Amino acid sequence: MRILILLLTLLSFLVAENYTFLVQPYSKEIELEAKIIAEIANASLHSKIRLFIPHMTEMEEKVYSKYFILSPKCETANFVFVNKNIEKEALCDNENRLFFTNNYRKLLSDEKYFGALFWNKSRPNIVFIHKRLEQKAIELPKTFDQFVENF
Amino acid sequence: MKIILLLGLVSSLLFSDSLDALLQEYKSTSDNSLQTVNEKIGHVVIYSQKEIRLMQYTKLNDILKELPLFNINTNQFGLTNYSLTGSKTTTSGFFRFFINDHEISSGYDQSTSLSWGDLPLDFVDHVEIYYGESSFSFGNETGIYFVRIYTKSALKENSSEINSLITSKGSRSQSLTHSSSFENGWSYLMFLNQEQIKQTTIYNGTKLNSNGTKQYLYLDAGNENTKINIGYTDVSKNNYAGLALDATPESGKSLSKDFFINYTYYFLEDKSLKANLSIDVNDRSYDEANAQGIGLIPVINLANGLTIPKIFNEDLRFVKTNAYLSKSFDIEDNSFIAAVNVKNKTYDVQNRETTNFINQTKNVGAYNSFDEETISSLLFQDSYQLRNDLILVANTKLDYYDRNAYLKDSSETLLRLGAIYTPTENWGFKSFYTQTALAPSFYNIDYADKSTPKLKSQQYHIYTLEGVYTEGNSKFGVTFDHVEIDDFLYLSPIGFINIDHKIKTDGLLFDYEYSFSDRDKIHLNYYTSTLSETINNATKGGFIKFMGGYQKFDYFTSLIYRNGYEYLGLDIPDSFDMSLGVTYHVTKDFSYSIKANNILDRSTQSLYFTNFGRNFFALDDNDRSVTFSIRWVF
Repeated sequence: MRILILLLTLLSFLVAENYTFLVQPYSKEIELEAKIIAEIANASLHSKIRLFIPHMTEMEEKVYSKYFILSPKCETANFVFVNKNIEKEALCDNENRLFFTNNYRKLLSDEKYFGALFWNKSRPNIVFIHKRLEQKAIELPKTFDQFVENF
Repeated sequence: MKIILLLGLVSSLLFSDSLDALLQEYKSTSDNSLQTVNEKIGHVVIYSQKEIRLMQYTKLNDILKELPLFNINTNQFGLTNYSLTGSKTTTSGFFRFFINDHEISSGYDQSTSLSWGDLPLDFVDHVEIYYGESSFSFGNETGIYFVRIYTKSALKENSSEINSLITSKGSRSQSLTHSSSFENGWSYLMFLNQEQIKQTTIYNGTKLNSNGTKQYLYLDAGNENTKINIGYTDVSKNNYAGLALDATPESGKSLSKDFFINYTYYFLEDKSLKANLSIDVNDRSYDEANAQGIGLIPVINLANGLTIPKIFNEDLRFVKTNAYLSKSFDIEDNSFIAAVNVKNKTYDVQNRETTNFINQTKNVGAYNSFDEETISSLLFQDSYQLRNDLILVANTKLDYYDRNAYLKDSSETLLRLGAIYTPTENWGFKSFYTQTALAPSFYNIDYADKSTPKLKSQQYHIYTLEGVYTEGNSKFGVTFDHVEIDDFLYLSPIGFINIDHKIKTDGLLFDYEYSFSDRDKIHLNYYTSTLSETINNATKGGFIKFMGGYQKFDYFTSLIYRNGYEYLGLDIPDSFDMSLGVTYHVTKDFSYSIKANNILDRSTQSLYFTNFGRNFFALDDNDRSVTFSIRWVF
């Protein structure tokens, strides 16, 4: 019984989310997005990740730099996360780098992207396209199988 | 050893960065709806998506009725009406309501009741309620409470949703929300709703009702720099007690069609330059017949009985146009916002007729020549980070009111100073001094006491102090406020008057919440207040609510208290509004819910009067009822 109480207490402290006032700009959602992208990038590439996000905001720069080496240009990056609407020409080729997006429709229509993190029915989702993983010789861990789809 | 192993297992589960766990946390963080909160505006209460779902808040009033230092009543037209603690106002301008960036308060009386009152929350993501003047930040008209309603994000929904509910009183509501996003970065969310309202009460053996229908349409389209919001409502309802001198009209109806379009564009890469344009058009019709007479104050001369109408009808149009431009910029530890806002309001009487006791019909037209107002505002805010744990906020706003007719043009200088101090992670303090003014509306001037037609702006001086302490899963808060009001606008039985002396009110609020888990929470709140005037509404109140979930079930129970009071010989009892409900999630996308409302049948009551205030009586605001609802996402 004592163990149970101890566990419950520990659990309750671990999930504590209370704050007094949110005086600093709220970054928790970007923080989680960054963690998810870090998981995906590290599982997809075996070298050190150099991330490029086009038109990166100040907040994104602050948060993403905790998990990645940020690349100022597309050309020097090996992982590109496109989470805004940009002109296609603004991006470099996809020979030596992987492209990931936050737009499901963009994933379907543009073969450059091997996967997407997007929202549907108020829930975040991840999809990798099997054929494109094969083309780019990306081997994802078994735990990622549930996110891989055949189109 | 076993304990250590078990602890290790638990923490590894909790700290697991597996994608599944991260996705789950991402969703639950998003459901906490903290992305838009602005602590610098005032003292804020957030109703998150998670809370709206767990507590089965289906209408905006479900949220507002538990707010502290706030009373929610039914007015003589059967419409919901919001008042500051201790007082009852027939329609109020203290409260400003926004859907996203657009203020939805009426151009006529500053109330939202007729067109947008009791808004369904099916398309709403979260609601923020700010106690304190926030017109400094948004350039809009002044107020005391600011209710900001944020619609669901098309980018996060990307789906369709059907919601339907039916109550044991016969009210029904059906809605469809549809959203989609495109490859080019544009997305849209559309909301359609149809409601049948049944609300009846017996007074003096006569059934008063505000039965009717409502339709809502809302469209939100945009991309990273552009936001376009379009809203439309069409309301047709009976007029409850209406303006009848005996409070029991023979017939009467209110009709309202309200349309708005709001366009926002963010310039520059950091979106620091914001332009906003909007237009609102509201067509309103009202008719009433009552052989006992209609208390239409603007046309009645008490010395001449023939001025009392027995039939009354009117068709009105109100147009509001608004332009806003703001620039934010940072210089060292200062964050500045400078903005300019221009608003024009017009009031057009298309038809207004009365028929008196000897069947003479008269085309009344406008009650007075005040039918246009332009408000030009300049505003400036600086928030200065003095130390890591201390932010100072200073605002100033200059409003210039350009009015046609006999009302003088006027200018008001608004001022606010505040500090937010967070000495440790557990302690937080916030304090503001605000000086603001609420100008009279077209409605106030129409219904002004004839002996004082030139109503003045109400002047408010508000002092607030809030302290918050958090420890583990507990959060404890205390808020104190002291408000002084000069020229308070009061609706006497013969029309609006400016009260000729200073009114003072103090409020003290305690708040405690404890989270058992991410899903289970208990929340307690109690407030007490004093008012220097005769009390005609509750002055103390509170709530206790518990919400949570187990596997496929969500459940909640809540008890909202308002104290009783005595007014002119009427004894209004304490109110205990208790509700409980359960939701069963058949799948992630389909659920049904049942909710029992006002179980103890101890609703709040509102005061009404007959014959120019000769008699007063009270009626219940809510019935005991059961609501059944379904939600399907596809």
